Amino acid sequence: MKRYTLLILFFVGICAVSCKKDFLNRPDINNPTLDTYYTNAAQVNGATGLLYGYAWFPFMDRAYLSIGDIMGGTGITQGPGDYAPYMNFTVSQTDAQVLNAWKAFYKVAGSATILMNAFEAKKASASNPAYLNQGIAEAHFIRAVAYFYLARIFRDVPIVTDPVALASSSDIRVPRYVQSDVLKFVIQELKAAESGLGETAYQPGRVTTYSAKGMMAKVYLYMGDYENAKAKAQEVINSGKYDLFSDYYQMFSTDKSNNNIESLFALQWIVGGDYQAANHLQTNIGPAPLLAPINAGGYSSVVPSITLLQSFEPGDKRRQVIMEQGWTRSDWTNVNFPNGFKYDTLTTGSATDQALKIKNATRTNSAKYVTGTGSNGDNVIGSSTDMNTYILRYADVLLIYAEAVLGNNSSTSDPSALAAFNKVRARAGLPALNTLTKDIILKERMIEFNFEGDYWFDVQRQGFEKAKQILWSQERGTYDYNGKLQHVDVKLQFTNASQLYLPIPASEITVNDLLAQPAVPYYK
Amino acid sequence: MRITLFLLVTIFVQISFASDAQQITLHKGVIPFEQAMQEIQKQTNYEFIYTDEMLAGTRPVTLNFNNASLEQVLHECFRGQPLTYFIRKSMIVLQRKPVSQKQMPLLSKALPSDTVTIIRGVVTDEKGVTLPGVSVQAKGTSSMTTTNTEGEYVLKVPSSAKELIFKYVGMEPLTLAIGRRVQINVTLRASITTLNDVVVIGYGAVRRAEVTSAISSISEKDIKDLPVSSVEQAMQGKVSGVSISSNGGQPGGGISVKVRGITSVNGNDPLYVVDGVPLAFGSSTNYNAGGAAAAQTAQSALSAINPDDIASVDILKDASAQAIYGSRAANGVVIITTKHGKQGESKVTYDTYFGTQQLQKKLDMMNLSQFAQYENQTLQQIATVNATTYTPIPEYADPSILGPGTDWQEGLFQRGNMQNHQLAFSGGSDKATYYTSLNYFDQNGIVIGSGLKRYSLRINIDQHVNSWLKFGVSSTLTKSDQLVSLTNGSATPISIAVGNSPAAPIYLNGQFAPAIQVGGYQFGSNTNPLALASLQKVTAGFNKAVANIYGEANIAKGLTFRSQFGFDFSLNQNTFYQPQVYNGVIPIIPQSSINEDRGIGLFYNVSNYLNYNRTFGKHNVSLQAGQEAWVSTYNDLSGSRLNLNLNLESIAAGATTGQTSGGGKYQSAMASYFGRVGYVFDNRYSFNASLRRDGASNFGPNNRYGYFPAASAGWTVTNEKFASNWKNLNYLKLRLGVGEVGGVGNSGTAPYSARLFQQNGAFGPGSWPANVPNPFLKWEAVRTYNAGLDATLIDRKVELTVDVYKKITTDMILSSSLPSYTGIGTNYNDIQAPVVNAGQMTNTGVDISLTSYNVNTNNFSWKTTFIFSHYQNILNKLNSGSSVIYYSATDALNTSRIVTASMVGKPVGEFYGFVTDGIFRSANQILSSPDQGLAVTPKGTWVGDVKYKDISGPNGKPDGVIDSYDETVIGNPNPKFTYGLTNNFTYKGFDLNVFLQGNYGSKILNFTKLITEGEYNVYNNQLVDVLRNAYSPANPNGTLPRYNEWNENNRRLSDRFIEDGSYLRIQNVTLGYNFPKQLIKKAKLSAARLFISGQNLYTFTKYSGYDPELGSFNNNALYTNVDNGNYPNPRTFTIGANLTF
Repeated sequence: MKRYTLLILFFVGICAVSCKKDFLNRPDINNPTLDTYYTNAAQVNGATGLLYGYAWFPFMDRAYLSIGDIMGGTGITQGPGDYAPYMNFTVSQTDAQVLNAWKAFYKVAGSATILMNAFEAKKASASNPAYLNQGIAEAHFIRAVAYFYLARIFRDVPIVTDPVALASSSDIRVPRYVQSDVLKFVIQELKAAESGLGETAYQPGRVTTYSAKGMMAKVYLYMGDYENAKAKAQEVINSGKYDLFSDYYQMFSTDKSNNNIESLFALQWIVGGDYQAANHLQTNIGPAPLLAPINAGGYSSVVPSITLLQSFEPGDKRRQVIMEQGWTRSDWTNVNFPNGFKYDTLTTGSATDQALKIKNATRTNSAKYVTGTGSNGDNVIGSSTDMNTYILRYADVLLIYAEAVLGNNSSTSDPSALAAFNKVRARAGLPALNTLTKDIILKERMIEFNFEGDYWFDVQRQGFEKAKQILWSQERGTYDYNGKLQHVDVKLQFTNASQLYLPIPASEITVNDLLAQPAVPYYK
Repeated sequence: MRITLFLLVTIFVQISFASDAQQITLHKGVIPFEQAMQEIQKQTNYEFIYTDEMLAGTRPVTLNFNNASLEQVLHECFRGQPLTYFIRKSMIVLQRKPVSQKQMPLLSKALPSDTVTIIRGVVTDEKGVTLPGVSVQAKGTSSMTTTNTEGEYVLKVPSSAKELIFKYVGMEPLTLAIGRRVQINVTLRASITTLNDVVVIGYGAVRRAEVTSAISSISEKDIKDLPVSSVEQAMQGKVSGVSISSNGGQPGGGISVKVRGITSVNGNDPLYVVDGVPLAFGSSTNYNAGGAAAAQTAQSALSAINPDDIASVDILKDASAQAIYGSRAANGVVIITTKHGKQGESKVTYDTYFGTQQLQKKLDMMNLSQFAQYENQTLQQIATVNATTYTPIPEYADPSILGPGTDWQEGLFQRGNMQNHQLAFSGGSDKATYYTSLNYFDQNGIVIGSGLKRYSLRINIDQHVNSWLKFGVSSTLTKSDQLVSLTNGSATPISIAVGNSPAAPIYLNGQFAPAIQVGGYQFGSNTNPLALASLQKVTAGFNKAVANIYGEANIAKGLTFRSQFGFDFSLNQNTFYQPQVYNGVIPIIPQSSINEDRGIGLFYNVSNYLNYNRTFGKHNVSLQAGQEAWVSTYNDLSGSRLNLNLNLESIAAGATTGQTSGGGKYQSAMASYFGRVGYVFDNRYSFNASLRRDGASNFGPNNRYGYFPAASAGWTVTNEKFASNWKNLNYLKLRLGVGEVGGVGNSGTAPYSARLFQQNGAFGPGSWPANVPNPFLKWEAVRTYNAGLDATLIDRKVELTVDVYKKITTDMILSSSLPSYTGIGTNYNDIQAPVVNAGQMTNTGVDISLTSYNVNTNNFSWKTTFIFSHYQNILNKLNSGSSVIYYSATDALNTSRIVTASMVGKPVGEFYGFVTDGIFRSANQILSSPDQGLAVTPKGTWVGDVKYKDISGPNGKPDGVIDSYDETVIGNPNPKFTYGLTNNFTYKGFDLNVFLQGNYGSKILNFTKLITEGEYNVYNNQLVDVLRNAYSPANPNGTLPRYNEWNENNRRLSDRFIEDGSYLRIQNVTLGYNFPKQLIKKAKLSAARLFISGQNLYTFTKYSGYDPELGSFNNNALYTNVDNGNYPNPRTFTIGANLTF
């Protein structure tokens, strides 16, 4: 009978292993689940904090300057490559940066939406939902900014407010909505943010009700609604909570300037974590002798254009953000520059000088967001940095105000407009002006916001004819190896109003044919 | 038992085990001898083998025993009988007592001497080993006997008999004329038919003749001598219905194995079961630690199993066979049985080979002189378009004085070498058998910085404890270290090196050279690709301990209980390391870094099952019922540091600033019950049915359980009476089967709940939902209908197996693929789209396997095997609302783009892009052609640019604009059919194997041409073809487009990059020589063989890249046959020896 005893023992053994009810219960052990999360302020704030960072990265990586500065003409690229189609206005619907921009903004908006909806659902079980309301308002703000970019880059775009429902529905197609409705949606979102956000940031760098007001001013200005633009800018100015940062160059050259008094909304980056959570701009635009030795980088992919260089008035302190012959930073050291970095476009000769010589297309590099090698204590890993990216700063609010006051007039000498305008010039060390015109303001904006991915939108909102006039007069050429100017302009390239906007990515049209159909109204 | 059942019985010997220590209790009194044998047979598992003739003159015996041993009982019974016996395995073979010379006259007296001749002799096999138990019959008479333990026989033959027939399992029957001989010694040759081979099915084994479903088998003979690191490679082209292709020539690299087409878009790797334990963990490298873009990382699933230890591989191809493995069998099941010791043998074998490997062909890139010409032309064109002054590069003014420059391919590819050593000890007694082996395999790849080293140890033991209990262990320890060359990505050595300028040197001042300046242009790259290839070390260490222990009890006659516990413990150790390297002050690799990733996997399973198998007259019944449960856990930890002190290859040498760490824990479990019923009537009709119920932790509580049924039937036509006279059809069986199996797809961990994913941002850590949950997710289901036939034709000279099938996959588990505007994506840090059951896919196909024994004489034999597989894959349905799965990949230029589209109504994974219509030859032609999407300017669309066809538009009609509506499927990577042709020749001691394999009708996307024919910058080297055939004002008839750096229209994915992927390859030729016994005896060897072999000798193909055998990128069916800097399969020559002591 031994064999039967053995058999029984085996069967008992089996049940001990696999008949247990929870044998198959193996939830994810690395992560919490939604059911048990977002129950306190720290969890909600942690989640919204991410909306300021890495989701924007695919846009910030290359599209940001390609669109804002190369198309705008403040920056140029030196040869073929990712940036070239922007230089030539030959951006196709399969262009990588087009897709990156599209994906980034929709990811930002989608994430904000999912958080917003998750927080709304949590309100029922929260005793005091203040932290949830705060999070919802922040998410509205972020979503507004993302759609504002979409409307300016692609004009008519889909709006998605419940991605989860869309994902589980039988038809995932969404039409394009007319740009005016998208902008209206942006204003609506900003209103929700304006009413839900506090007067002061609960953590430095978080958006406030004034961030929302300032952003509304920018959107209204873009829409040509000068009354509202003026009113919202006025509210920010009158609050007294913001001011210009004293040193223009310092504002862009060290992470110690992050979240300064001038910043209303800035993307927040951090090195040492996710690659996409850090600011890599200096990798792309910095000079190789400075950055290549600390890690691959310093590609000088976009450099200041000759037009930009020629626009500075003598004595303009803002020219410090342009590295040119002789520009030095004694506190930036690396293996090439043990005694400090010196921008040198002239050295020639031996083979090894390649490491030091800078001979790029305009013999300049932008110094904005270039914080150096980390030798001076700035947080730099590889060549990526903690440096924030300004999306809205007080100088913008001041110039918006001035432009809104000017409105459709050919010129203005309104004292409040002049005061706002001249405050910006004063910081640059330039004399005050007595009369303002559209062109004066635009030129000031071009210099003030150069290499901040913004000038193209200023050109764009002027309409095709004016844009053509601006762009055709730009010098987009380069200096050849021997220093001779090779003239380039875009008279043959920028010829069609459709070039004011980028094409919708092909891969998106492929999955949603409505994107190739005419836009429809969002608000009926 | 009568001799007629002999064949049937012996086969069960191999799967049922009994012991001679059995206790017998019998109280029957005096009974006839024959009845006594039947009684003993009932109590034991022993069968008596005899003929009625033999029983003549036997005496009755007294059966009164209490707990007597078998030996005692037999001793009693045979005392004084005219018979003697010997035991072989579980048979008691009876024979008449030898007739001595003295007895002969007596015998002659007893029987009329004029009618009987006594014939004696010895029966041996081809190797001269004597064969006991061979039946010897005088043809046309009832005179019959069997050989004794020494292989001797003595037979009284009536004078009417003219011929003797010798029969033995596994041997060809032999009929010999008697003539006047009284001494007839014969040699039997091994049977060439496969019908008696044992086929391993799930949780058991049957004879090939009883199989009713589609199962293909290959044995160690088919795979020996091949210099492969993993057994799948050796199976390529040898099994019908199984498509196997290497994903490249990387030593130990991934291999795409597809059983009967594409079962699911989620991957097609079959379930591998090694000695009854499912193989738990594959491995892959941590490729991106060095910052490279996505590259090929999958490794061969079986790379941890030493191919030399494998005795047989059985592939369950249709669901009627697979269903016993239920939810894990959707992609087919590959059952691997390792070698076990054999009773009565005791041998030491040493097998070795040494090989050398080389690149099959080089791409025809420009040399420096040609490159200079190209630069001169190109710079002129650029200046014209930019309206600037053409400033020539002075160094290139006279290309004819320039030498060949740097051949980067020469630098990247090397002569590889390999060696393999296998030392094995095996043997056994009646009670125990053992097999142990030690193996060392070492291969350097043909791309610098790639290789594989493997050490493995195997111990297999089977032991009888007592008469009814047996246990065994099979276990292996493997350490495999792979040095990986990253391939099929944008920053991988092959794609960079191929396009590197011949003007740039590899070395400068004895160190790796940085980029070089020529005339103000920088050629080459500071990050020298050969420095990356040889100094960056990407390693995948794979350490594995797999063991299983079983116990098997004989509970009652025909009823066994088997219990098995197995585990698979693996330690994966992946490392990325790069030193800091400077040439003078110029950084080649600017920063040193190391990244280590360790994963500990533990998989264990328990299975218990009862087997019942008995024959009642003409009825054979088998039943099986059992249970299985497994748990799999994986624990991963990784860390990295930068700036290593003195470039030391240790994480301890790195700086803590900027260090990273990561990891996670994963677990899953499954609990199952299964049962099977088999019934065979009269060896003519057979029927099998099985059912399995699986519960899996992957699914939410509501949809956790799945049921997987199957049924199949077979009819052996030739066992019918009416077929007994069929001359040229020796054997014919028809089979029909249907079954359903399942899969858990790529459902990931707990897809039924929303997990939160923590990220670090400037405001500190925060958590976002990682996925959109789907609480209703359930199993993928695959239903297969199979019809087949097995036939043996023309005097057993031809064996044919044909199977036709239809396989329908439903409820495919798909990540819903959503447009980006939903904000829900598929990138690692996106909020992931819900995983849903959607979609249906059908594969229909034919598998044919034909073996012909052309010549089979003692000195010369020639055997031909032809394998043919065809499948057609159609995607029938997808998520509601979407009709296409697009697959995007990063191309050689680091741009992500849609590469394949899997559309409803079409095959999975077709290439997707534009259709070209030549090149614009004039401005008028541009203006009269569809709008190519860019302004008609030198920087937009211009003469010399590619013209794309206007295929459709928003209204479904051509709209005069080239845009995304004009993209369509432009090539199917699936072949129309694949084939393999093996010819085996033996002549005396020589053996020759010639193996060809190939496919017809597949298409390849040659992405490497984006670089080599890209013509978008002046820095990259190009194919010579570009210099000759690119359009330029000076060459207006050029067939390739003009140089264009201003926009990317010429580099749209189009049929320009699609090529015919058909090929026929001389895959293997092996010539071996077996040394004669007399010669090697002096060296104390019992067998010795020497062989030389060539692999991949020549490929007939139109494909212009390195190698048309591309496989699937990381085994992904949606990304198949894309050459994006693939590692070419090398040509290999080996020399080796097999020695037996």
